[in-house]
Amino acid sequence: MNLLQACAIIEKARKDSILVATMGAMFAFDGLKAAQPRISSVPLMGGAASLGLGLAIAEPRRKVVVVDGDASLLMQLGGLATVADRQPANFVHFVVRNGAQFTGVANLATPAESCVDYAGLAAAAGYRRTYRFDNEAAFAEHIDETLAAAGPTFVELRVVTPPPIPGAPLKMEIPELQFHRMGAEARALSTWLKEHPHG
Amino acid sequence: MSDRVFNIPASGYLDALRRNGVDYFVTVPDWVQLGLHVRVEQGVEGLNLVRCCNEDQAVCVSAGLRIAGARPVTVVQNQGLYACVNTIRAVGLDAAMPIVFLVGQFGREFSNFGHDPSQSARNTVKLLEPVLNALGVKFWRLEDENDLPRIDEAFAYADKESRPAVLIVGSPTGWN
Repeated sequence: MNLLQACAIIEKARKDSILVATMGAMFAFDGLKAAQPRISSVPLMGGAASLGLGLAIAEPRRKVVVVDGDASLLMQLGGLATVADRQPANFVHFVVRNGAQFTGVANLATPAESCVDYAGLAAAAGYRRTYRFDNEAAFAEHIDETLAAAGPTFVELRVVTPPPIPGAPLKMEIPELQFHRMGAEARALSTWLKEHPHG
Repeated sequence: MSDRVFNIPASGYLDALRRNGVDYFVTVPDWVQLGLHVRVEQGVEGLNLVRCCNEDQAVCVSAGLRIAGARPVTVVQNQGLYACVNTIRAVGLDAAMPIVFLVGQFGREFSNFGHDPSQSARNTVKLLEPVLNALGVKFWRLEDENDLPRIDEAFAYADKESRPAVLIVGSPTGWN
């Protein structure tokens, strides 16, 4: 399963769930033309789960779908306990595991890739349900179950790492959009929630 | 010697939070504000407690709440504010979210009460305002009960400008 395939399965199933994505998943959802309700945690590695938690607390009748990165989660592992403390039933936390940082550019190794158990960490922190998928068919078969079950739910998605593009930063200036989209999406999401009350 | 009392009761803070419509108390606990924390832990009608493991999470949780129409206050200490500078940059400045903080001046010398915190011998204390100035984040000092209206000013500013606002709790909160 690759990142785009995993995100396509989520996007097809999420309906009017709030999508909170970060890093590579954010760009994959852009490619899938994911629309409101959504917000991106950018440029802010590690922020997605807590941003989603705030939304889930304030919107308890609407599902919140967080699509995190493995290195992003590692930056805020304590956030698993912050989520678990609230036990939000409407919270589904996907983590895209590719074992790399700057994926598709340099593919620097993620710490503890050979030994860390993300779903195990979530279960130990107090998430109610955990799942692991590494192939597209199995994930597609269970996506509705992962979204429907009372959470907090954690889903580890093992995806293949695309090959690096040596020298890419020499040619790729970080676009202005990356520094403004979280605010623009926050305002759009706020408006969307007012126009679509109570899920 | 001044008879000024450097102590704002927890009840004073709660009244101010109530009249500003605050419904979530998002926090990583702070020594200076323990009187307020204990009162909130006991349960305050209309005020929901959200415990976070660190201040990055507290800022992001507050942002999510705010997007969905809630009115959180983010309660941390000076060390915690230093720890989450990048999250304030991303959420408060780049994304222009009106996060209102109560920040305790942990470690402030009692002899510094009523004086400029820049005169503190401790980096933990004296760097707070310069860091906020460097970030372009507006702040208000809370030293005694006469300063409580500054809480209203901070919320009004954050709402109007869509900017973070920091209320600096300069001395230990009263347990009454």
